[in-house]
Amino acid sequence: MSIRTRKTAAALAATAAISLFASACTGSTETEANDDPNAETTLTLWHGWSAPSEVKAMKENVERFEAAHKNIKVKIVGNMTDDKINQALRAGGSSAPDVVSSFSTTSVGKFCSTGAFVDLNPFLKKSDIDPAKVFHKPLLDYTQFEGNQCSLPLLSDAYGLYYNKDAFKEAGITEPPKTWSEFDKVAKKLTKTKGDSYEQLGFMPNYHGYETTISHYAPQWSPTYFDADGKSNIAKDPAFRDMISYQKKLVDKLGGFPKLKKYRNTFGDEWGAKHPFHTGQVAMQMDGEWRLGMAKDAGVKFEIGTAPLPVPDDQIADYGKGYLSGTIMGIASTSKKQNAAWELVKYMTTDTDAVVAFSNGIRNVPSTIEALKSPDLKHDPSFQTFIDIAQHPKSNSSPANVDGGAYHLTLQDVGLRYESGKLTDLQSGLEKAAQQIDTDIAKLK
Amino acid sequence: MTTHTLRSKRRRSALRTVAFLSPWLIGFGLFFAYPLISTVYFSFTRYDGFRPPVFNGLDNWTYVFSDYPMFWPALRNTLWLVLVMVTLRVIFGLGIGLLITKIKTGTGIFRTLFYLPYLAPPVAATLAFVFLLNPGTGPVNTMLEWVGLSPPTWFTDPDWSKPALTLLALWGVGDLMVIFMAALLDVPKEQYEAAELDGASAWQRFRFVTLPNISPIVLFAVVTGVIATMQYYTQPLVAAKVASGNMGGSGQLFEPGYPEKSTLTLPQIVYNAGFQRFDYGTAAVVALVLFALAMVFTALLMRRRGGLIQVGD
Amino acid sequence: MAQVLDREPAVKKATADTPAARTARRKALLHWIAVHSLGIAAALFFVLPFVFVVLTSLMSNQQTLTRDLIPTTWEWSNYSKVLDTPGFLTWWRNTLLYAGVGTVLTVVSSIPVAYALAKFRFRGQRLSMMLVISMMMLPPQVIIVPMYLFWAKQLDLAGTLWPLIIPMAFGDAFAIFLLRQFLLTIPNEYIDAAKVDGCGELRTLLKVVLPMAKPGIAAVALFQFFYAWNDYFGPQIYASENPAAWTLSYGLESFKGAHHTDWNLTMAATVMVMAPVILVFFFAQKAFVEGVTLTGVKG
Repeated sequence: MSIRTRKTAAALAATAAISLFASACTGSTETEANDDPNAETTLTLWHGWSAPSEVKAMKENVERFEAAHKNIKVKIVGNMTDDKINQALRAGGSSAPDVVSSFSTTSVGKFCSTGAFVDLNPFLKKSDIDPAKVFHKPLLDYTQFEGNQCSLPLLSDAYGLYYNKDAFKEAGITEPPKTWSEFDKVAKKLTKTKGDSYEQLGFMPNYHGYETTISHYAPQWSPTYFDADGKSNIAKDPAFRDMISYQKKLVDKLGGFPKLKKYRNTFGDEWGAKHPFHTGQVAMQMDGEWRLGMAKDAGVKFEIGTAPLPVPDDQIADYGKGYLSGTIMGIASTSKKQNAAWELVKYMTTDTDAVVAFSNGIRNVPSTIEALKSPDLKHDPSFQTFIDIAQHPKSNSSPANVDGGAYHLTLQDVGLRYESGKLTDLQSGLEKAAQQIDTDIAKLK
Repeated sequence: MTTHTLRSKRRRSALRTVAFLSPWLIGFGLFFAYPLISTVYFSFTRYDGFRPPVFNGLDNWTYVFSDYPMFWPALRNTLWLVLVMVTLRVIFGLGIGLLITKIKTGTGIFRTLFYLPYLAPPVAATLAFVFLLNPGTGPVNTMLEWVGLSPPTWFTDPDWSKPALTLLALWGVGDLMVIFMAALLDVPKEQYEAAELDGASAWQRFRFVTLPNISPIVLFAVVTGVIATMQYYTQPLVAAKVASGNMGGSGQLFEPGYPEKSTLTLPQIVYNAGFQRFDYGTAAVVALVLFALAMVFTALLMRRRGGLIQVGD
Repeated sequence: MAQVLDREPAVKKATADTPAARTARRKALLHWIAVHSLGIAAALFFVLPFVFVVLTSLMSNQQTLTRDLIPTTWEWSNYSKVLDTPGFLTWWRNTLLYAGVGTVLTVVSSIPVAYALAKFRFRGQRLSMMLVISMMMLPPQVIIVPMYLFWAKQLDLAGTLWPLIIPMAFGDAFAIFLLRQFLLTIPNEYIDAAKVDGCGELRTLLKVVLPMAKPGIAAVALFQFFYAWNDYFGPQIYASENPAAWTLSYGLESFKGAHHTDWNLTMAATVMVMAPVILVFFFAQKAFVEGVTLTGVKG
């Protein structure tokens, strides 16, 4: 007995020591793309879609790929959030994915800078693809970080304005507003109060009004998030101050924060049939291109209008632009089948027919220049608005950063406190937030 | 008995002890001592899970205490929860415990009904409460409006999210009820009878007989309540995720502690720093702060004199 | 009512119809009414949430978005819809595996430790007990970073429940503590008698102590089972990346994520996660209540 116990103790000590050492020197990021793309193999693909129609569209997309590449089978795992992706890529191991698609462009900086995804530049070169000829610049901006193209766009999202044409007619408005000063007049005109609430609200400006976040408003003011040294620019670039004070004015004009917030709480879920735009609770909505299909599915009774979001009065020449974002796709650096994985990524992100078919299935904006022009796109005429926004030269996106988009939350926090009146000195709030963003990013570099 | 046999007997008894303790000794080393030491080590490194850890001195520590935007709000929330939630839970648990000792008809049914919510799995219970308290169509606000009140928006209002969590905690007060019930039944009957003879009122009997008798249990409930608050994780996290309508699938960023960091707790920021930002160093520092706090209160439980858990002989 | 009065000896004695007796009886009745009204009020507070959850789980999807409290149509099919959700049965199986295997391992590994701490005399006994309590009070998040790296990177067990089950083979602090509290209540005379009969420590433990400790073991097993059943953080850390390893608690949250608006389905799933726990409780109520009491008792 005694010997066994002593051995156990020794083994215990050894295990502890080994694991301490071992955990101190893991984390290899070297790429080993030497697998044969023509060999029989099975890839694991993770994506974030969860709605049945979207899952089906993804499955069909994969089936098309499998038909074209008989040697590669794809195992699809859906409903994967960025947290899970990030964690699994670190763990590596048997259940980890080879190809990953993520909804949120905010994690790209982290995926690239940590080496979670491999740099696709060598693969693009090998396949003779010049990304600048395939994708519009904003899309390349949000899929790379400091020159490391660790992901490619898989369809994109363009943000614009939805409006209720019936409500417009009733209020005697003939055209969607083009400038923000027109916009608040229109919003006011469309607003019908009822007691201490609303019968119809022109527009829900609150930052928690679903897609009305700072990062979606701000592009209309052409902001620069980071300066040349990579420092936060939000306190120096007047675009942010102008945007946040405009939103606050809008909040006050439409009834004030407490009243709007109370009304906001009566809204149905953003992804459900009872979305306030569908039910007529709001007459205008800032949203991505997918809203059109969702509204149709929900069976809305009124005619839906779409337009680009307004711009500041002095930038009317830029009208037509909007915020761009999208789903991204990359190859896990832990994958042992990177060449085969590249075949899948290449097919899904750059093959015109694949992109067009997937766009038709999932009702997002196609992401390649060729696909945007394709006659095979089966979309509603009002969808064209978003295809135009996607191609507008001044449309922009928010840059990737190592903090995985935490800088958006820090900025949004300023907005939340300002709209509710808890913060009164906007400039000092922005300066503090800029400092916080710089500290957070320095911490992760 | 020769000294030799005595010594060998002693040695045998020591071996026997070690043998019986061995599962736990291994567990202690592997799942307590080693990870704690390792956490201390990580707290002095920069490590993201990919690139090898790099020693960075006190960087993580200064970051957490002076720059980490979630740390102080989480600590403030913890203080609020200790002061309000723990206190109310103890008072309510004692009240329900007293009530159950007074109930003479259907005691078993009442006891079961009072106890059941404690068993509800936290994720399920939290989902249920976010639904019950949802501002638009939730039954609670519907009923409050029937009686003409203008109800708060609970989990979506930073001023009301912690009270809503407190309601959830009060609902699951069954554990305290049972402990208090047992303690109350242990109070010697003679003391009540003596007090009654002296003409003591119900309040006086409670104040001068009941309370002194059960005060160790009250203290036990408070201290374990504080320790449980240090571990408070599932309920605030699930409530925030569900109430924000952002379960992480839509591509929007989840705001930890939604709304406005009002439901952040220390365990949540360990997760946020370690498994969302993948800054293991920062996570390790917060973990050690959490460890220190939990151990201070654990030590209170085990004090040699007046300790609530008798540890040794 | 008669039964109530029976329990009040003072009242029973005063059967003579004197004014004093009548006042006493009226006072007792008022007291009874007051206490039981309070009891019913409290019962409503504890029960209504369950009632609303069940009612909502039977509503149509359209109706959950209204202010109705009671279903207009009873949609029992919500439950079969939940059962048909891909994964739901897997979550069940995984939860049973985690809770079942984990409970057995915990009980088996904790009994000898608790026995030694309760009945042996050895140097470092007090220290060991303090360490057990410290482990019991340790928030799991404190050691999660190195533990995760250990299981995921050294042993490649991320995406499984093994990192949660294996440690239970090495004694669980709470189980050890609870069992030790219980074993302390077993008089030493029984143990001494067994030794006089020539039993070794192991046999004494198996033949004499264990049969007497059954209620304590039952309580520990129940607690451990509920702990695993309810655990959210563990599966979130270790199993989240692999849907095939999700448990009910973790899956339930993601179920809500995938069914944003379907409160009826979410509530039906909630009922199905709560129900087993409540059923187990009804079967094992006594052991459970004893266990809770034990945690608060001085050793």
